[in-house]
Order: sequence, then structure tokens, then C-alpha cells
Amino acid sequence: MAYSAEISRNNPSCFLFLIDQSGSMADTFTGEAGKKKADGVADAINKLLQNLVIRCAKEEGVRDYFHVGVLGYGANIGPAFGGALAGKELAPISEIANSPARIEERNKKVDDGAGGLIDQKIKFPIWFEPTSSGGTPMCQALNGVKGILQRWLGQHPNCFPPAVIHITDGESTDGDPGQAMSDLKALSSNDGNVLLFNLHISSNANAQPIAFPDSSASLPDQYSRLLFDGASVLTPFMRSEASNHGFNPSEGAKCFVLNADLVLVIQALDIGTKPSNLR
Amino acid sequence: MTMRLFYEAMWIQKAGSPEEEYEDAFWPRRSVSGESRQKETFAIADGATESSFSGVWAKQLVRAYCRGRIDPLRTNTSLLPKQRGWARFVGRKPLPWYAEEKIRNGTFSTILGLTLDAGSENGRSGAWNAFAVGDSCFVHIRDEEILSTFPLSNAAEFNNSPFLLGSNPESNKDIEIHIQTAKGRWESEDTFYLMTDALAAWFFREVEDNGTPWRSLRDLNRDLPFRPWIEDLRTKKQIRNDDVTLYRIEIE
Repeated sequence: MAYSAEISRNNPSCFLFLIDQSGSMADTFTGEAGKKKADGVADAINKLLQNLVIRCAKEEGVRDYFHVGVLGYGANIGPAFGGALAGKELAPISEIANSPARIEERNKKVDDGAGGLIDQKIKFPIWFEPTSSGGTPMCQALNGVKGILQRWLGQHPNCFPPAVIHITDGESTDGDPGQAMSDLKALSSNDGNVLLFNLHISSNANAQPIAFPDSSASLPDQYSRLLFDGASVLTPFMRSEASNHGFNPSEGAKCFVLNADLVLVIQALDIGTKPSNLR
Repeated sequence: MTMRLFYEAMWIQKAGSPEEEYEDAFWPRRSVSGESRQKETFAIADGATESSFSGVWAKQLVRAYCRGRIDPLRTNTSLLPKQRGWARFVGRKPLPWYAEEKIRNGTFSTILGLTLDAGSENGRSGAWNAFAVGDSCFVHIRDEEILSTFPLSNAAEFNNSPFLLGSNPESNKDIEIHIQTAKGRWESEDTFYLMTDALAAWFFREVEDNGTPWRSLRDLNRDLPFRPWIEDLRTKKQIRNDDVTLYRIEIE
């Protein structure tokens, strides 16, 4: 059965983030007034990496269940980590955990156990700052990801299939990326095909947040539809996890969200018993 | 009155992990052959992979249960000292940002407790009572038949996200609906097998395929060494790769 390989330190899987850093990302998006799309991208990826690290953390440190890469595209295409990770296509998750650019303290509302909410200070690591310049060479960037994953799959033929998390406003400037997305999804390990998640950050005034739709009918424009069409279909395990988190994805639901949170993707990977009362 | 018990725990960590990463727990720690007791309590627990220091929590729970310090009728209140103990243990030294965030969510474990009581009869029969949160299970065997199973009874009931006992009080808010208790009678020559989820799920699948898996459990560490047997089941993909604990309790 596909998508059933154990994710372990002996058989790690791979996350590749592909982030749009083009000039158009300096525009505001419809999620929050005055917030630039580039800020939305930086927030999304920092939050996804934070969640991934915490999921792999144990008392002795961070277990390398995943190798992680971040490829940026805009004026340039290439690995987007800075600091100690600069220039690396992929790094074990433990290295990422220990190399954030800085750590902010933020307030988070948490349940006080008595029906109310209290502010709790949490540590929020920052790996990425917002960036926006140049065109949107999406096709070329997708082909770059394909090259990285081909090498990874050659070395890890039995892994749980790699996941590509693509965060963009969808406005490709080097042609229709449909074929490049199909080529990427055609890559596979013995356990199934590469999973492509598209997170669309949109400035379109009609863009209502949507998560894991099974049809493009309610999407606001051609950029959304293109990213919806290119995304993989959610695996059965991911669908059941999504249901546990209050979504109700149908069998054909896609790995696509519009101006919405993708953290569920991190939660929906099976690395061991996860209590239902762990939130 | 007393009863004569033979009991032994067997365990193995997940394949690919070192022994120190074993996160199940059991109590009592020592095996006993033929000791006469009026009352004896056993417990196993399975710390959740997804949380940190869950093995420490599982150990605290089994020990506390067997010493009568977890009250099934007042579980949340009686857990508070253990929860404070866990927080003290993990707060001893500064930790990296991810470890701090992980600990903020607390840790989690199953628990399964079984008490055998010789009562006032002739030592040939008596009462048992059991307590469980999560998917660690026991089966009660008499004359080559399953007399009862607790708290689960078939392989389809296992999933990867059971409700577990948390080290943060707010994680256990709805605990009342997840606590399971049971009671029954034992007779001499009965056997109880307490198992964490991977082995219990294998057991129920075997039964559903008309097998007699208790015969294998009966022979373990006698004709059949435990660890190679589990490793063989893993190789044949008949059991999920997870920590495994078996507590075998035989009544003479």
C-alpha cells in the first residue's frame, strides 16, 4: 500500500519548501490588512519549520526523521537558508533546529484550564525574513526541485515519499508551470509518488480562505486554479488527520490551500502515537 | 487467603532504536515464581512517541498505580503529585527552544492496571479489577479460551491517536469519558496477559484469523525466546514496529 513506509531515523523522509521571493510578493494580500505577501510567506515557512522541528524533538534532541531543504525563487533561484545552513540543498532537521537566524518571544493565547484564555510567552524561531525582488521563474524553480528530489530518491529508494510545500502568489513569469508540476509528482519512491502541496497567497479581493477543496469551482482566479490543478490528492491518512482537525475533506480533496494555514500537513505525517488530547 | 502467582514481564524496544529509548513501563519490575500473596497489583504503560520524557511519565504512572496512589474515582486529583513530579524532573536544567516548546505541551502515556485479590475463599478463586486509559490491553485465558479482554477487544479498535493520560492537568479535562474499569473473577490455572498496543493488535488479529496466539505467549521465555520471536514478527510485518511489553501472570 502506498504512503505506508515507516518514517524513522533509519528511513527518513524529506520536506522541500519552494518559496516565491519575486517582486510581486511585495504586494499586500487579502489575509490581513496591510500585510505583504512576502510577510505571509515568511510567517508560513517559519511556522511550518517550527512545527516540524517540535514534532521531531525528543528529550535527547531532535531526531532526524526528515531532511529539509528550502529553495527560493525570484531574482535568483537557489537554496534560501542563511547562516550555518547557507548553500545547503538539504539538511537533517536537527541541524535546522539548531540554526535559526534568531529566536523571538511571542505571546500565545492558551487555555487556562478553567474556561478562559491566558497569554503565554512562547519562543518563535526565525529562519527566514521576508524577501521580494525580480521575476517569478516558477517552471525553472520546479525543475530545480525535481533535480534535488531525484538525487534524494536515488539515495532513499524506500522512503515515505518526499513532500514539496510550494508557497507562492501563482504569477509565473516563465510560462505555464503545469507540466513542471506533473513531472515533479511523477517522481516516486517504492512507497508512492512525491506529494506536492500548493499554498496560494493571493491579493485577489475575492479570495476567501479555502483549505483542501476537491474542486476549483469556488477559486477566485486562474492562478488559484492552476495551483489547485497542479497539487497532489491528499492521502487517506492525511484526510483522516484533517478530519480530526475540523476539516471535512472529500476523497478527491487536493493538497491545496488559499490564504490559509498549512500546518496540518506537518501534523498529518505519521511518526508515532499521537495522543488525541495533544493539541 | 493467599494465591500463588508466577509472573514475568518481557519487553523490547522499537527496532532501530537503542534500549534507552524504550518508553513503555511495567510494574512490579521483578519476576516472581510461586509467591503466595493476598493481593497483587500489576500495571503496564506506553509512553507516547510524540511527546518528550514520556518514558519517565509511564514509569511514574505504573509505580503510582501499583502503590495505590492513582484513584480511579478521582483520577485527576490523584494524578496531581505525579504531574508536579514530572514537571520538576524535566525542569531541572535549561533546554533548547524546541525542547521547551515540546515540554509545554506535556507528555502522555497509556496505563493499564490489574489487581488480583484472593479474597476470603480457598485460594482457588478470587476477584480481579482493572483500570485503563488508552490502548494497552489484557486478555484473560482459561482452559484454552479467552474469557475476557480489556479495554479493547478487536484489532480494528486500534488507531494512532488514542486519548492518553497527560502530564498537564488541562490535557485530562475530559478524562472521565475515557477511563475504563472492569471487574471479574479468576480461578486457579487462569492466565492474564497484559500487552502494549502493537502486541495486543497482533493478538486480536490472530484470534480473528482463528489462531490461538495465547499458546505462543504461554511459551515465551520457555521454549520460545521473547526477543527473537518479536523480531521475527516484525520482519514478517505481522506486528507494527513499536516498543513491546508483555506481562504474563499465571495463577497456580
